Amino acid sequence: MTDGNVPTWEEVARDHGRFLYTVAFRLTGNDDDAQDLVQEVLLRVRKGLETYRPGSLEGWLSRITTNTFLDEVRRKRRRPADPLPENPDWVLPPSMAADEALAGGALPDDVQTALRGLPADYRAAVVLCDVVGLPYQEIASALDVPVGTVRSRIHRGRAMLREVLA
Amino acid sequence: MNLAAPDDHAGDSLSALLDGELSPAEESAVQAHLVTCMACRHEMETIGVARQWIRALPPVEPPFGLYERMLVPYRPGRRRVAMAFLGAAAAVAAVLVSVAPAPPPAVDPNVATLIEAHATSAAEGDALTNLAPAGVPVSINP
Repeated sequence: MTDGNVPTWEEVARDHGRFLYTVAFRLTGNDDDAQDLVQEVLLRVRKGLETYRPGSLEGWLSRITTNTFLDEVRRKRRRPADPLPENPDWVLPPSMAADEALAGGALPDDVQTALRGLPADYRAAVVLCDVVGLPYQEIASALDVPVGTVRSRIHRGRAMLREVLA
Repeated sequence: MNLAAPDDHAGDSLSALLDGELSPAEESAVQAHLVTCMACRHEMETIGVARQWIRALPPVEPPFGLYERMLVPYRPGRRRVAMAFLGAAAAVAAVLVSVAPAPPPAVDPNVATLIEAHATSAAEGDALTNLAPAGVPVSINP
């Protein structure tokens, strides 16, 4: 970081490009939307729209990414021309062989598809917990909800995902 | 959480237990409940499997050139306007260049930095084939 304050978007792209794209991809579930999300996040960083709190840079980035994602989901919900598959029933359950399920393995593509089938609020909590690895308290602060809500969303999100992949 | 009544189940405390997010007192209560409640043991196992699947998802490599393309100003939902503007700007630039050749403008942000970043990530090679990358851009920096 150049001055110990807000990282520039170039630093973010150079040092955390893969992390940022991974979080965006896990949230959106496809390359096009992930690219748009990454661009929007870097735009916010570039414009200094997000308050930087010294600490984990990746925690800060994933907070911006998740909130940008949720803003976009809400915006699209208001203009439902291009609906996201928010309802798990809209997503075809990925087929998985019984022996694969028994062996305890699931194909990453299937897991990603199941993740995309979760309601956006649950998906955000699960991604921040299981992909980024943030503690509940930080997730609660990122999503601006009580810790109890985070706990419930993570649990229900995992349960729904397991059900789809069963 | 109150696990005193026999009908109570641990619910989302199970995820919190797996994530190490319970206080010692809560943890003891949930552990004690698990000993006697088969339904919660089953749920714990189910949730644990899902948790592992998500945590096992690999990092995703960004498409080549994603960050470099952002050197172009990005305006969400106004791409057509931006394109028209670029077209007009190109015409003006063409006229200016034909009249008085100017020195190349300084580029901000630093392109060399981004090329460098890609060279670094590309230098890891292909994990699947274990082949070295076909070409690594040479740094512009001295």
